Amino acid sequence: MRRSQLIATVCTALLNYCTIECVVASEEKTAAHPAFQVSQEAETILDRYCYHCHDEDEQKGDIRLDNLSDLEIPKRLDLFNRMQEQLYFQHMPPKKKKQPSEADRKALLAFISTDLGKHQASTLEGTLQKPEFGNYVDHKKLFSGEYKDEPGYTYDRRWLISEYIFNAKFQRMLENTTQIKRGKKRFPVVGGSKVQNLNLANPFLLPTVSGVRYYANEDLTGGHLSSMLTNAQKTSAYITNYLVERKKGKYLPAVSQIMALDDQHHTTLASRREFLENFIARLSDEIYGDKNIILLPTYKPVTLKEVKKLEKGEKYKKAPIHVAQNMLKGLEADTMVFRLLMDPFQSKKSDAEFRDLCERTWFYFGDHERKIQGRMTLLRDYLSEFREHVEKARRKIKPLIYKPLADSEMVAIESAIRKHRNKGDYYAEIIEKCMTDWEQEFEQDRIAAGPPSDQLLSGLVSQLSVQILERPPTTTEADEYLTLSKSYVSKLGKLKAIQKLIQTFILASEFSYRQEFGAGEADEHGRRMLSPRDASYAIAYALTDQSPDAELASAAASGKLNTREDYQREVLRMLKKRDQHYLIDPILADKNYQDNSTNATIRKLRFFREFFGYPAALTVFKDEKRFGGDRLGNATSRLLNEADRLVEHILENDTNVFEELLTTEKFYVYHDGDNERMQAASDRIKSIYEHFKDTDWKNFKKEDLLDHKEFLKKVKMRSVDPDKLDARNRQGDTIKLFKMSMTTITARLDKGQKEAAPYDLYRGYGNDFMSGYNVSKFFNLPMDNWDYKTIQPAKVANRKGLLTHPAWLIAFAQNTETDPVLRGKWVREKLLAGTIPNIPITVDAVIPEDHTKTLRDRLAVKTEAKYCWKCHEGMNPLGYVFESYDDFGRFRTEESLEYPDNLITKTSDKGPALDRGKLLVDVRDIYKTSPVDSKGFLKGTGDDSLDGELKDAIDLAERLGKSRRVRQSIIRHAFRYFMGRNEFLSDSKTLIDAELAYSQSGGSFDAVIVSLLTSDSFIYRKPIEN
Amino acid sequence: MTNRRNFLKTSALGAGAIALAPSFNQLFAAQGVVGSGVPKRFIFIRKSSGIRPSEIALPDFSNKDKALDEKKQPLEVDLDKHELPKWLRGLDAHKEHMTILQGLSAKMSENVHYSFSSVMGCFKSNRNTLSAIKRATIDFELAKLFPSAFGHVELSFAGGRTGIVSGYSAPSPQTRNYCYADPDTARSELFKSVLNPEAVNSDNDMLSFLQGKEGLKTSGIKGHEKRRQEVQIKSINAIRERNKKLIALSGSLAKHLPELAPVHANGGANASTPEKQAAMTDVLISALKAGLTNVVTYTIDDLGTPVTGLPGNETDRVGIHPLGHDEAFGGVPAWKTREQIRISHVNQINTIVEQLKQTPEGNGTMFDNTMIMYFPENGETHHGIGLESPFLIMSGSNCNLDIAGRYIRLPVLGTEGHKTLGNLYTTLLNAHGNPIEHYGDLDLEMARKKLDQMGSIKQFIT
Repeated sequence: MRRSQLIATVCTALLNYCTIECVVASEEKTAAHPAFQVSQEAETILDRYCYHCHDEDEQKGDIRLDNLSDLEIPKRLDLFNRMQEQLYFQHMPPKKKKQPSEADRKALLAFISTDLGKHQASTLEGTLQKPEFGNYVDHKKLFSGEYKDEPGYTYDRRWLISEYIFNAKFQRMLENTTQIKRGKKRFPVVGGSKVQNLNLANPFLLPTVSGVRYYANEDLTGGHLSSMLTNAQKTSAYITNYLVERKKGKYLPAVSQIMALDDQHHTTLASRREFLENFIARLSDEIYGDKNIILLPTYKPVTLKEVKKLEKGEKYKKAPIHVAQNMLKGLEADTMVFRLLMDPFQSKKSDAEFRDLCERTWFYFGDHERKIQGRMTLLRDYLSEFREHVEKARRKIKPLIYKPLADSEMVAIESAIRKHRNKGDYYAEIIEKCMTDWEQEFEQDRIAAGPPSDQLLSGLVSQLSVQILERPPTTTEADEYLTLSKSYVSKLGKLKAIQKLIQTFILASEFSYRQEFGAGEADEHGRRMLSPRDASYAIAYALTDQSPDAELASAAASGKLNTREDYQREVLRMLKKRDQHYLIDPILADKNYQDNSTNATIRKLRFFREFFGYPAALTVFKDEKRFGGDRLGNATSRLLNEADRLVEHILENDTNVFEELLTTEKFYVYHDGDNERMQAASDRIKSIYEHFKDTDWKNFKKEDLLDHKEFLKKVKMRSVDPDKLDARNRQGDTIKLFKMSMTTITARLDKGQKEAAPYDLYRGYGNDFMSGYNVSKFFNLPMDNWDYKTIQPAKVANRKGLLTHPAWLIAFAQNTETDPVLRGKWVREKLLAGTIPNIPITVDAVIPEDHTKTLRDRLAVKTEAKYCWKCHEGMNPLGYVFESYDDFGRFRTEESLEYPDNLITKTSDKGPALDRGKLLVDVRDIYKTSPVDSKGFLKGTGDDSLDGELKDAIDLAERLGKSRRVRQSIIRHAFRYFMGRNEFLSDSKTLIDAELAYSQSGGSFDAVIVSLLTSDSFIYRKPIEN
Repeated sequence: MTNRRNFLKTSALGAGAIALAPSFNQLFAAQGVVGSGVPKRFIFIRKSSGIRPSEIALPDFSNKDKALDEKKQPLEVDLDKHELPKWLRGLDAHKEHMTILQGLSAKMSENVHYSFSSVMGCFKSNRNTLSAIKRATIDFELAKLFPSAFGHVELSFAGGRTGIVSGYSAPSPQTRNYCYADPDTARSELFKSVLNPEAVNSDNDMLSFLQGKEGLKTSGIKGHEKRRQEVQIKSINAIRERNKKLIALSGSLAKHLPELAPVHANGGANASTPEKQAAMTDVLISALKAGLTNVVTYTIDDLGTPVTGLPGNETDRVGIHPLGHDEAFGGVPAWKTREQIRISHVNQINTIVEQLKQTPEGNGTMFDNTMIMYFPENGETHHGIGLESPFLIMSGSNCNLDIAGRYIRLPVLGTEGHKTLGNLYTTLLNAHGNPIEHYGDLDLEMARKKLDQMGSIKQFIT
């Protein structure tokens, strides 16, 4: 009862939900619904607050409310759902209009909700569960303490797996492992989206928005199942046809046992086929002697297309040898031709004799005429080149050495040949007849051996259950699946039956849903603790994408996951664990960006990645011309990776985490986190500079390098080998490359810089020292005057906190412009726990063009009109402060007015393509500029000392870092992230405790996680009410 | 006996047997657009190594038009008054349904040698990585508007592969389609319910077991979890229903079952290129006629597709990549072989047009409701830069676009009125019931120059 009262106070809609259910239950017992009538009370309220704009005379927004009784039921319910949301979120009546009392608002809501409930048509409850509506629960009340005695809980639930868990499940199930590089070291990692040699469609992709993306609201639909059906089929074939064999019986041994006879037959057949395909001619000669040639078909050479003479003036460029080699390989003849050319006897033959030998071999074997034509054309046009190739590649070509099979096998083969060979048969025909005979013989053996025993099938069921569902089957399940397996075997045969059984397990709902159910005795509030097994998964999936590790699984199995202290122990252990590396970003991995892993629990880092949303920087399509340099993709990948590293660094320190994230002045810029490695790289470049700076290196001839031979051998300048002075690559010869390198080395040290940025000496192909050197441009660091910091993170001018990190600024920008609205909305919703209504569909959200004005000025024209400002007031003043940074995140005091008529200096659009090998160019066009106005206004921290005029983004960052509301807002989002749902007032204690844990621990995010994962909201489950 | 050891050889990326009527979740729930009941059909034919704008230009332009065309100035002429380039003459009889569309740019997709998924999705494909797939490709968007048993079919000769392999179309972000890579596989998979009813039954046995098992779980649960379980059961049932529908189509399928020559068995290693193309075209037409799909994407070649048996190179095996670099085979200059390749493509387009024109539908023929788009995957040359991406379009009378019978050159990239691939795809979607504001990434040069580039090509919409 008290709970109902509580919810009634704060969450009318949810109360309605409970009330409505009761109404429906009672009315269902009493026959049909009575005709709809607007109650007197509702009529009075509507008349007082609504009809003024929504009656017969005026229908603002095409809404009319004075004829509700006349509407058809579907139209009325649709209108009521819209009214319910408007009233609940207090969007209506408009703020400037007369507002109803709380009692009137509740009364009207109750009237509407009751009618919706009667028809089970209310959508508000679903709406309130969506992530974007999380902030609608009153912030002050959540942290006021007024509700902290309410018992927290989550309902029993299943939670659809995420895209990450989907990948992890398949990787675990298929025992797929990958490696990744960090610095110079390689590590095995878990995570990522790839399974080697298997292409799966992930139907559980999360929305691409910033904030918490993974909620327990989604249902498994026919669409999911449809994709999973295909995935299951591919996977089952992959397991039986590839994995079981590759793992040599260690993977699902029951499969090998059931297929033992088949595999044995298969091995024998494969061995006989291979032998015959290689040696049937020789064997036939041995068996039939001189008669063999008589038995063969009459030789008939193929006809080749005549080569026509070129027409006058026509040019012809013959395809090179490597192309011909590929063609020969495609025609499955390269190995044979090259082996014959290796043979001293055959290779001595004239071209004509050699071609004849090959053609006869292929003809008698029975190769298709077209195939022979293709091969012979190549031998006609490229034989001399093939001979040269074989001479050069002699060591790589393995000769074919005759080795008979075991005596019994040779007897079987010889006997089959004798049995099946007819005059005129090609060798391939003889082989096929033998193979068919043997296959039939073996099949009879398998039929005689009978179907697999129940014991074997039961073993398979158990192994599949463990491998796919991660648990042994119950007794009932074991019986059910055994019966099913037998049915499959009888209808499909063994192999397909095994595949179908694998598919059946993968398609079980248990595979796609996480289970989170209470077990044991209920407490006085009707709550039960998570069952130990479910708890182990809940903890594991809270911190990682993987199933419980061995310790956690063992704790669950041995009764050591039954108390809050047990949870705390396991969570702390996992947070401290550093022996497992996780891939951070599959997208970076896809881009072949290697330095992309962490050894801290992945979901801790991912929370901040998703909360800040900076990974979206990779998806904002930008051009290199406006960037001013090449390899923008690499630079953006590094930028994102270094933002990750910064977050990881702050989390590793685990002190004042939120404040540090928002106000740190230290960043990583072109640094892999290994200070020693970066220092060594800088020292090397400095040593080269010191060695040559006083020489006349600009006028060196290549021979002059010999004077520095020992030094050059020691420092190993890229592509400058004093022993190979005549070497060259696509960028130039040795001396040219030396000068190109010296140019960049000089530029990075000749202006008093203390350290040298360790980017490559010139822009080349192949492996870079570290890709993404242009990341410096995002931070306004010119590559020819970069006072590089070898020890990082290090202070960078004009930056403070992640909101001034270029990755975040790009993520919240457009293709060619900044986006103050998007940036302001993010701050309002994510840091100030505020709400911004969705953009009305009637709004044309296009910023007008004006070649003389800054974006801010143009935006103001559009959004500061009265109608727009009521929403934009909550966003623009926060977003304007970031105008100190352009859409690449570069600091600026002047905004470039990028219109053709404002162009001052034009550079080549092809940019670095014209200057290959040079790293220092900037290809941006120069336009007229206008001063940037980065002033803004902060409102909504609840702290008068922080609210007020803002000078710029740095000012905003400093104030946000001091705000308690910001801290609470981050904790609210952390709650949603780890619980998979929005918070309610009954979670008040959980949130207050988490904040307390943070402040008492000196700002430890680990403490917040421990607090959340040991809270009542996490531990306790209640049965779902009907 | 299934050859377990040859799994990876025959199935390059590990795709095994596919469901009876496979579809992705995005297609499964597609409701389609309300229309006359006769679906629209779209065939996308992707070719490799570019189409040079000069190759598809009309040879008998007036001097004035020739100058405009060469200077890439906007231009529009009626095709019936002109001769087609030699390689297009196989379509002479269908000029009234033909559009040669020049001037579209494709810089927001990948260019140079390969575009992978991006030419049909208008994003950069990062060398074909999964995560770079930003959105459903245009063919899948259209397939959602015109649902069918298979939803969408992709056929491909890319890389000379066989079997069921990864495709280039994308049903949704970060998801890759699969395709049938030889005519025999395409036939046996598309017509599986006729050719292999055993597969139908085994799927149904499994779904029936799962449905029963999930059904047991509904007792004792309440509220949302009960509803969730009911959704699950309904979902299984929906797949069973879909299979039933397909089985019900068996009559129609059997009627349209294409016959393939023995040379196509097991991937057709010895079939010539014209034979392979003709067989794939047969399967494509049969699938359309049988109502299995309304959208087909057909990668007729890529740079790795071996080509054999073309006029001039009858006994050679030639490579499209070397031909793109002007490296020739068998004494035949590269440009001539490239032309023969295009002619072989046009022959297939002609067969499709002819066959569909001979098939009655509603008050007309199937072709009336069909659009065929033939285009280079990578832009204008072997090393495309995406400044231009010429399209050859064959469209029936009911195709909602006002383009037929014309040579149209749109304003060049970076100028007022220029149109991108995104504009063309937006036009297709808007014209067929999807009101999307703009499909695909924007062009950065247009954006840099503050030129309008959003939305459909208004003059094309009827």
